[in-house]
Amino acid sequence: MTMSTPTLVTFVVYLIGMLIIGFAAYRLTDNLSDYVLGGRRLGPGVAALSAGASDMSGWLLLGLPGAMYAAGMNQAWIAVGLSIGAYLNWQFVARRLRVYTEVARDAITVPDYLENRFYDKSKALRVISAIVILVFFTFYTSSGMVAGATLFEKSFGMDYGVALWVGAIVIISYTFLGGFLAVCWTDFVQGLLMFAALLIVPMAVIGADGGWGATLDSVAAVDPARLDMFHDMTLFGIVSLMAWGLGYFGQPHIVVRFMALRRSSDMPTARLIGMTWMVLALYGAIFTGFAGIAYFAEQPLENAETVFITLSQVLFNPWVAGVLLAAILSAIMSTIDSQLLVSSSALTEDFYKSLLRPEASQRELVWIGRGTVVLIALIAVFMARDPDTTVLGLVAYAWGGFGAAFGPVIILSLTWRRMTRNGALAGMIVGALTVIVWKQIEGGIFDMYEILPGFILCAATIVAVSLLDRPPEQAIQSEFDTFEKTLHGR
Amino acid sequence: MEHSLSFATWFWLLVPMCGVVLLSLLTWLLGK
Repeated sequence: MTMSTPTLVTFVVYLIGMLIIGFAAYRLTDNLSDYVLGGRRLGPGVAALSAGASDMSGWLLLGLPGAMYAAGMNQAWIAVGLSIGAYLNWQFVARRLRVYTEVARDAITVPDYLENRFYDKSKALRVISAIVILVFFTFYTSSGMVAGATLFEKSFGMDYGVALWVGAIVIISYTFLGGFLAVCWTDFVQGLLMFAALLIVPMAVIGADGGWGATLDSVAAVDPARLDMFHDMTLFGIVSLMAWGLGYFGQPHIVVRFMALRRSSDMPTARLIGMTWMVLALYGAIFTGFAGIAYFAEQPLENAETVFITLSQVLFNPWVAGVLLAAILSAIMSTIDSQLLVSSSALTEDFYKSLLRPEASQRELVWIGRGTVVLIALIAVFMARDPDTTVLGLVAYAWGGFGAAFGPVIILSLTWRRMTRNGALAGMIVGALTVIVWKQIEGGIFDMYEILPGFILCAATIVAVSLLDRPPEQAIQSEFDTFEKTLHGR
Repeated sequence: MEHSLSFATWFWLLVPMCGVVLLSLLTWLLGK
């Protein structure tokens, strides 16, 4: 398959659009809070779609439809788990985190929040969490770049290096210029593109298959087991897949969107928009892959993950195909840019400002933020130059690692007054180590997705260590009271 | 149409995912 001229034109227009958004956001960015948190002025629609688009990487348009195409309905469990996890995050974490980060002396990053929340003078919480963010997101960013460049290499015969650099330069440019606002506004547009693509493609495929009934019959002719969500599934397997949803509470690039909402009272609106977007997008991905089984029944695809991109090329005219291709790239870019910016904020706020130059001016900090965006992106491109490199295997730890190390710490810090700094620190370390160790061992219970034991052990450690520890100082407890009063509008 | 998805598949495919959207709608309406 080669890229037709209309597809290429649509695609270039998309990339230029992203750069224009970056430039517009540049004009609204004056200080570090603007650069890493948009000065907390996101409306509910932008916050919701930005959280969704940052969360959903290329997996939504490549991995999930691919898994559905290859194995059928039993792959949908992960979407069920993710929807429940995302909802609980919006319901129980979002507003609390928005309010507490402001009460805790206007914390602008997750490490900043943890230090302020526990009055941690040792800086251990801040430094450890910032290092974890920096390391994993650099690898995560790099692996996103590999996914994007490989897609263009495999689908259109484009040179891997060219695809890598073109994508990286566009992302670096708008993130460099406009920071958080640019990332969120581009996420919003990218989220809309992904949403549109995931509504029209499955409808077109089911139509091309001859309708829903004919789709089911054709899938059954290939393999009736693919109609069954329980085929080849044990309770253990289902729980393991659904446990992916536990990851939400600890993903810095997602929860930072909650902190950036203009008014905490906008949260129910943001939640409704975010959940509707996510669930419909997941259904779109599920049914694209599922209907693809029927469409390609005669000539199965070599690589299941190309099911969405192949369908968009064969079913639509080249102009629409260009938009659909931009949607796939949107999914990849919207995740990379958010992770890049969170890493930059960890370097700027949590290392440079906190440890090296507390007296730095806002102007200096914004430029350090921009510099670190370029630096981290270049490291990521450098690591991505060889798509087969094994270091990128570290990404496999990232979702579970963040979920188990930060998730219970964030939830309990927002709900439990008695939690202490030592509890937080111990929980974070136990959560992260559990994920790493669990992944090394195979067989029996160790085949369970490691986030579940990591999450449980992290939470148990926080509770045990906090209760054994001295109760938090009076200042921390009164701040918790102020937070609760603000939360309940008293 | 000869084949269909089983009740259990429809149930688990629809109830949790549509459920969280409906809950979001409900809490949004109640907050109005």
